[in-house]
Amino acid sequence: MIDRRQFLKLAATLSAAFGVSNLPAPVAAALKKIDPASLPKLIYIQGLSCTGCSVSLLQAQSPSPATLITEYSQLAFHADLSAISGKKALELIEKFITGQAGPYFLAVEGAVPAGMPEACVIGEHPFAWYLDQAATTMAGAVAVGTCASHGGIPAAEGNPTGAISVRDYYAAKKIDKPLIAIPGCPPHPDWVWQTVVHLVKIGLPELVDGAPKLFFGSKVHDRCPRYHDFQQEIFAKKLGDSGCLFKLGCLGPDTDADCPTRWWNGGQTWCIDTNAPCIGCASPIFARRKDFPFYRLNEQHKVSG
Amino acid sequence: MKVDLGPITRIEGHLNVHTTVENGVVADARCMGEMFRGFEVFLQGRDPLDAQQITQRICGVCPYAHAIASSYAQENAYQQPVPPNGRILHNLIQGANHLYDYLLHFYQLAALDFVDITAILKYTGKDTELLKIKAWVQAEVASGKPFPAAPFLPRLTGNYIADTDLNIGAIKHYLEAMAIEQKANQASAIFGGKFPHATAIFPTGCTQTPRIDLITNYISLIQEVRDFIHNKYIPDVAAVAAGFPDYWNIGASKGGFLSYGLLPLTPALDSERLFAPGVLLDGAVAVVDFERITQDINNAKYSSPTGLKVRDGVLTPDPTKADAYSWIKAPRYNGKMVEVGPAARVMVDYLQGHNPTVKKLVEHFAAAAKIQAHQLNSVLGRHLSRAICAATIADFLLAEAERLDPNGPTMADLNIPASAEGFGATEASRGGLLHYIRIENHKIARYECVVPTTWNASPRDDQGTPGAMESALIGTKVANAEEQMESVRIVHSFDPCIACAVH
Repeated sequence: MIDRRQFLKLAATLSAAFGVSNLPAPVAAALKKIDPASLPKLIYIQGLSCTGCSVSLLQAQSPSPATLITEYSQLAFHADLSAISGKKALELIEKFITGQAGPYFLAVEGAVPAGMPEACVIGEHPFAWYLDQAATTMAGAVAVGTCASHGGIPAAEGNPTGAISVRDYYAAKKIDKPLIAIPGCPPHPDWVWQTVVHLVKIGLPELVDGAPKLFFGSKVHDRCPRYHDFQQEIFAKKLGDSGCLFKLGCLGPDTDADCPTRWWNGGQTWCIDTNAPCIGCASPIFARRKDFPFYRLNEQHKVSG
Repeated sequence: MKVDLGPITRIEGHLNVHTTVENGVVADARCMGEMFRGFEVFLQGRDPLDAQQITQRICGVCPYAHAIASSYAQENAYQQPVPPNGRILHNLIQGANHLYDYLLHFYQLAALDFVDITAILKYTGKDTELLKIKAWVQAEVASGKPFPAAPFLPRLTGNYIADTDLNIGAIKHYLEAMAIEQKANQASAIFGGKFPHATAIFPTGCTQTPRIDLITNYISLIQEVRDFIHNKYIPDVAAVAAGFPDYWNIGASKGGFLSYGLLPLTPALDSERLFAPGVLLDGAVAVVDFERITQDINNAKYSSPTGLKVRDGVLTPDPTKADAYSWIKAPRYNGKMVEVGPAARVMVDYLQGHNPTVKKLVEHFAAAAKIQAHQLNSVLGRHLSRAICAATIADFLLAEAERLDPNGPTMADLNIPASAEGFGATEASRGGLLHYIRIENHKIARYECVVPTTWNASPRDDQGTPGAMESALIGTKVANAEEQMESVRIVHSFDPCIACAVH
């Protein structure tokens, strides 16, 4: 968790990156008209990832993804959308990360194979080489998703690659650049895009444990529409039942995210509304331990024989 | 000369293709999957019901296919009856995911190989969205900044569509398709919980109640997607085909074809499917037998034994293994190289005369384009096969949703045995997907995934036979050996997913 002094330092670094002068305390700042010339450029790269975060980013509705990457940011490179590929794509990325193409933000999806560099290679170099190059030239980084923020699935117990989060990678290298973590497997598109919009129009959002407080400031359980069921002890007894899902293993009480008020895919649904227990996909311990399964019903079966 | 085509963009993940070009022809091609996580290793020792969640994270583009394959494998292991609603809900979730994926592939991933994005500068109409893009491109190009109009420029050198109206129509549809893809994903999320990575999918069904309001909402969304498929997507595929007819004869793979069949018509896993399963070898379609699948690893970065059957799979990474050039294994059927994917799905069904809709569409488009059915094995054939799948699946989903019983159970009360094993096979949009689970002492003892791009982007097998995509690339004439637009079009036609292929 960053203290106030670090926070102001980050805010100053960011304001320099966006060409915003005399940025007041971000929360008090007036909305800034977006200047196309100072739009943040995003270089989006992927490590040990499944592209689910990128696919989630394409589910943004208002504004649309096309508006977000042209009017609110400039997506200078993304492996799923960029027209260019091969050597010329590498040249583009390397121009940015070697500091020859102006200020930019690094957006990273996926974990870093710290114990097996060969497990992720882009062009001639291991994935971590790109992080190292960018460390000295980027304005800051956005860790998109749980893998980049906390390690996630690739860092599950028993993994063979020694996967760690981008945060831990940079922390171990003592890289002192602003880094915003936006966990979620995948993250809700609003969590990422509205953070970008906040950066562009106001500045650094308020962070809790490195993640925007606006989205990660309360437990799923605390805002859950089924909190009343919990209080009344109306519990789902088996999968497919309605009621509070706590006794099936719901991780809402352990997970910071605003899913209960935001909902997913156009705001029409979310896990709990489909009677599916929260599996804690935005949590630092998501999927990490073998002895901590997503659901508790199998435990019951074992007891009953 | 030797040219690396990677990193290949507008696919999922980390793919390089090492090519050797001689006299303007690709003399050799080696597909290199360059990202490894080790799912089969870290799934061991986990609770069996973690599997359909963990394996979705193999791929964020087609997560539902993994959830379904894992659910099938667990159903096969648990031997519990599946309620009709459960199977229907699986189908509704997975089918909508296919529709989204076909549109994503054609518009966002493949279209920029053919469509001239700079044609927007010649736009003279009044569409506000297009005028906004035109103004944006003009401002970008005039700005003097490095890499203006990224990510749409720069691009590869090549012959793009010359007709301005066609280009501008396609640019408009590129944007519209994004909104339609979202609607397909909303439809699947109604029952799946969220997209990507659904939490409501379980073996034998789904946790969501099929309320009448949800069914109506689902049908309405799929109807919109279906309209787009017929009014925009299919005509756009036809327009690209008309503009690039050479590509009916470019990019053929040189082996057989395999499809596990897609969307069971009744709850039983071995029931008839909307698309029939089969393996097409030497011109004849045979029944698929999972025991005939083996995985070679002499050219893959593992030190575990080569040639193992799926149920015997073990995985020991060897990242510095001499001469190995990919993290992708080389699965083979009866020792033969096969292609999986939309063309395999359509051809295997068509040659068995199974689904009348598929037959009608294949014959309609073959007549219109003056091609034979075997030319579905080509760059354009794969694009057309996706469109045929999309049209067929959309109609099926509208009827399938009506079959839900709002008062019936949506899944079984799961009773998971201490020891069991099971296979689960389905078709992801990219092709045949097989999961195998073995449970011992209530925990996963072995989990094996043989994934579409594992087949298609496989390296040489132990006999030295190239994989499907390698074989499709070898022999291709290229105008510009450095950039190889022709090769990139071939790779894109397979819609490779490297996170899937290696996992």
